[in-house]
Amino acid sequence: MSTINIEKVLDLKGLLCPIPVVKISNAIKEIEPGNVIEATATDPGVMMDIPAWCASTGNELDSMEEAGGVITFRVKRLK
Amino acid sequence: MDTREKVIQELDKRYNRLVGTSATNLCTHCGWCIESCHIFKATGNPEHSPVAKAEKVRRVLKRKHDWLSRLFPKWTGAKDLTESDLDEWIEAAFKNCTLCERCVINCPMGVETPQILATARGVLTAMGKSPEILNQLTDAAIAREENMEMMEGFFRKQIANLEKQVQERMNDSNARIPVSEEADILYVPLSGAHTMVPAALIFNAAKANWTMSLFEASNYGVFVADIPKAKKVVERVLKEAKKVKAKTLVVTECGHAYGVLKWEAPKWFGKQFDFEVKSLLEVMNDYIQEGKIVLDPSKNSEPVTYHDPCNIGRKGGIFEEPRNVIQASSKEYKEMTPSKVENFCCGGGSGMVACSEWTEDRLLYGTVKVEQIKKTNAKKVVTACDNCLHQIKELGEKNNLNISVSNVSEHLANALVFS
Repeated sequence: MSTINIEKVLDLKGLLCPIPVVKISNAIKEIEPGNVIEATATDPGVMMDIPAWCASTGNELDSMEEAGGVITFRVKRLK
Repeated sequence: MDTREKVIQELDKRYNRLVGTSATNLCTHCGWCIESCHIFKATGNPEHSPVAKAEKVRRVLKRKHDWLSRLFPKWTGAKDLTESDLDEWIEAAFKNCTLCERCVINCPMGVETPQILATARGVLTAMGKSPEILNQLTDAAIAREENMEMMEGFFRKQIANLEKQVQERMNDSNARIPVSEEADILYVPLSGAHTMVPAALIFNAAKANWTMSLFEASNYGVFVADIPKAKKVVERVLKEAKKVKAKTLVVTECGHAYGVLKWEAPKWFGKQFDFEVKSLLEVMNDYIQEGKIVLDPSKNSEPVTYHDPCNIGRKGGIFEEPRNVIQASSKEYKEMTPSKVENFCCGGGSGMVACSEWTEDRLLYGTVKVEQIKKTNAKKVVTACDNCLHQIKELGEKNNLNISVSNVSEHLANALVFS
């Protein structure tokens, strides 16, 4: 069973798009390939923007869940 | 092909009459543009004046396209391109100019400095030297369509949550956010809920025949002057407008998106579209004038001012509609000075807000805007562009302005009376 190594945790609550994407784009450079960023956000725009950003940059959206208006997602750096 | 040859080739691809005359013939170096620039006013650095920024590109263009400069470059200041020039272009075209066009309307010769610098942006993008995040955001918009099977699920889930909010606020379980269905109006939001919920409240209150686009209006392709990619981003919406048989495409409060869909896209595709393109500002004003929505101005009791986004006002010609909307939905309106065509850029335009490496510079470039806001004594700033919204919020926090900031539709939605 593979383990998830969360190297960075980001609080993006209250930030409007595209700022969450900007923060993830900066943070991904600061973690090792194979490791994961876990972030929480409140702007529902991230539910589209983050998967699209992952698809276009070759990173992996590991998970995305919404509960009580807070969206929690994990992005894995692939390269 | 070496770098210099490649740059010249890319410049030639973008060389047209407007850039050519602005670059080689018109500028008399009179200096009238200098004080018109919010960036120069904030820093006092002569390198930040419009004439100095344009000159970095102009001298290279002149060397090739101006006969006198070809023969006697030293007389005219023309020079051959060197690699270090490109680094100066990045500063001049991306960091130190928001393409706001205030210098153009204050230039007695009408020199199109932003067009010269946008040309440089395009060349830098072709050379792989434009800001990475702007390219990533462009590519992400394209990926949204290419991965629509997966994305649509995320989007519909998001909309279902927002629809509940709309129903609760209207106390009406029939209120809807239809997505990409056949309708007279195709509304194109940004990806944030603040551009979806207020618009949905307004459309529902006006009983409009509308639908929400699957796509977002923003188009970072224009910020990096990558027109082929920018066209791809637009094309998604054009296809959808045809699919839903829209008569009117309503663009949310986003300065560059309005400019792209209203003015640029018909030129890019070489045709007028089968539908009308309107800003949400115009539609909100129509609903008020036609009595389709009922407002209670006392719900917005604080003194409010309006910041004209450059792309909506100076470049788009929409001045009165947002003012009508704000005044109809507020108790007290304060005009900013100067405003309308002479309004100053907030400093966050043309992609600056997304370029986190230049955050300190960006907030400095908002100095003039801070002073303008202070002089109004307003407690709330309303604007109609997401870049302006982000920038003014940050300026308010950094400078302790004690203001709230919202877009026009949020402000109007707050005053809606639901029957």
